[in-house]
Amino acid sequence: MTFKQKLAACLLRYKINSSYLKMNLSVVSIFRRLSLMIIWVLFFYPEYCFANFPTGSISTKQEAFDFLNTIDQNKESNLWPNIKPKLFYDNLKLNLENPMSFYPGRSTNFCSYGAVSYLVMQCDPLGYVRFMYQLYADGKANYNGNYFHPSAAVMKAAGSLRFKGVLDIRHAEQMWFLVLADKFKGYLNIINKKFNPGDENTFWASTNLAKYNRMVRKMCHYKSESVGSDLIKPGVKDLYSYLNKRMDSTTIVTLYINNRIIHKKTHDKVKFSIPTHYIILRELVKVNDLLAIRYWDYGGETLLQLYPDLFKKIVFGISIFRK
Amino acid sequence: MMRLFLLILVVVSLLHVSCSTKIVSNNIYQLHKETFDSIENIYEKLNAKKPFAIAFTDKKLNVALFELVSDSLTRIYEIDTHEQRLADTLAVYKYDTAGIAVLIRKMQAAKVTWINNYDYWVNEQPQQMIYLSIKPVTIRYPFSPPKYITLAYFRTPQSFDEKGRLLDNRRTKKIRKLNNQTFYKITDRICYTIAEKYR
Repeated sequence: MTFKQKLAACLLRYKINSSYLKMNLSVVSIFRRLSLMIIWVLFFYPEYCFANFPTGSISTKQEAFDFLNTIDQNKESNLWPNIKPKLFYDNLKLNLENPMSFYPGRSTNFCSYGAVSYLVMQCDPLGYVRFMYQLYADGKANYNGNYFHPSAAVMKAAGSLRFKGVLDIRHAEQMWFLVLADKFKGYLNIINKKFNPGDENTFWASTNLAKYNRMVRKMCHYKSESVGSDLIKPGVKDLYSYLNKRMDSTTIVTLYINNRIIHKKTHDKVKFSIPTHYIILRELVKVNDLLAIRYWDYGGETLLQLYPDLFKKIVFGISIFRK
Repeated sequence: MMRLFLLILVVVSLLHVSCSTKIVSNNIYQLHKETFDSIENIYEKLNAKKPFAIAFTDKKLNVALFELVSDSLTRIYEIDTHEQRLADTLAVYKYDTAGIAVLIRKMQAAKVTWINNYDYWVNEQPQQMIYLSIKPVTIRYPFSPPKYITLAYFRTPQSFDEKGRLLDNRRTKKIRKLNNQTFYKITDRICYTIAEKYR
């Protein structure tokens, strides 16, 4: 079989337009087209090209503390008028000491960014601290190949969010959540793409499942596996077994749940069943007829017991990230 | 065609206005002031010992969702208040079982659906407030949303504008929204809002 025939068979196998075969194939032209195609894919869908390389932890907490000790922590930045250096650096130190302390704030739509923070702190604390420092000093920075240049409105809002619980005094977290929401967009953000004061509670900050997975892949370069969607629940018969098979020391499991079934807000029985919240699943145990789930959200862990049917009712999306 | 359109618009507007839920008594706080203040008082003392929150999840206010908060873990239990399991659970985590039982009875009697403590910061100093939601008697039409009255108890006097709306602080005219709601003055320390959610 000649090289030309081999190439033709290969193209057939990959279902590339059969009209190519009828043409007088020129190896150079095909390679040119393939290169163009690769460049196009690299440019528009970089996450599909790089996402599946598993990476472990690439820096340590100590390295991050060492970096913080080398910088001037009293220097104010005019770019972020409401951020106080002391609160900013104290917050970064707290994030390093206790990565589970990230608190997305009361009545905000920052829960997905809280879950992303959890994943980021697992893989690269030094990268996080260095990124935050650069962003504070220059107003723009890179994190794992993602370029952040937040809008002036976001820069003004960071440090000024109030009545959000402990987030009020966590200036680094305010900045981090706002820039993540400003950078990553999904279809839920189409109607409100530009930040205005108060948008932390609106669709501007909301996150659909695909956007969440994309954010984690881009920020952490984790290998991901996801089932479920924004409206249709995952077609998994036994969630307990499914999750238990996949939970180990190398994976981090995020659940996209309808939190309003657990934290009811009205006494109405008829409700729209839609997912509202992202949680990091830490433990899932069967206790007699009940499931005991221990999860992380809002700066701490929660333990909840519920029946398997109810658990199935609340889970809309499962994302498993492998380090 | 234009007349028909206008007619439809008027009918839809009238339906919308007439079908919104109406609270029978608007001065519910004034009528039951002592009860609500005493519930807030009891909760404040119990919560200071060991933090927790209570929300009633059924219409008859029999089933309660307890959030038992410790430094490292928040435990969530949904328990019928008549079950012995409630006292046992509270005892396991060393809560004041008798005190919470009194609070539950008072909440049920006054139709208080939710009570919780919130932290907020002013000039980097921690402050606290207590939320308390009431399920008032309403006239409700099909498809109309429910209505709840939420009271916010602050520890320190707050600032309000000329319309009685809660402000961020004395120096600004910025309206402070809590749970995305505007609150109105009852006293300088207590304010209220009417919301479609109890928390």
